Amino acid sequence: MTQTETTGRRRFTKRRRYRRVMWGFVFGGVAIGLALRSLGYPFIGEAVYWIGAIGFLAVWRGTSLTLFDERDKALEQRAATTTLALSAPIFVVGASAARILTWTDIYTVPTVVWGALYGYVALFATFGVVVTWLRYRR
Amino acid sequence: MSQADLAAAVDVTRQTINAVERERYDPSIELAFKLAAHFDCRIEDLFDPELNGVGTDHDD
Repeated sequence: MTQTETTGRRRFTKRRRYRRVMWGFVFGGVAIGLALRSLGYPFIGEAVYWIGAIGFLAVWRGTSLTLFDERDKALEQRAATTTLALSAPIFVVGASAARILTWTDIYTVPTVVWGALYGYVALFATFGVVVTWLRYRR
Repeated sequence: MSQADLAAAVDVTRQTINAVERERYDPSIELAFKLAAHFDCRIEDLFDPELNGVGTDHDD
């Protein structure tokens, strides 16, 4: 094995380990945080949750290694596009149905549903702003 | 050479090499150049772009 291959192999192993640690932080933080909250320790649970979140960020941003390669980014782009494509019809139909039901007094749409619909509005507005920014940035 | 060795050599994940081999992912220009450099060949020797009608003579 050449020196280059040894270095590459070491980097490959390190990246895999870092990725595991990173996801371990976030999933461990959420799982242990939830468990502690359900056991009656809400503040400790919240602290563990934040340790998980900060640990995730620290590993992700703190290493010079590229933890996600180009295919990961391509998959994220496709996943984001698919998520929006699935969300759009739900929002369009849901918002129209909520308005019609309210106007006709057939059904009182719960506040939580309106909240979810406004959440969709915020999501699509954010997407629009980001796309516009990416299109016109220098 | 294993997929893991090749992945390490060109600095991507083994899954990416596997996806490229199975033609489920088209590599970036940068990765294509790295792979070609690694195997000491041209990009065209590794990939078949299947450019229908591009760069070929055809009647208008």
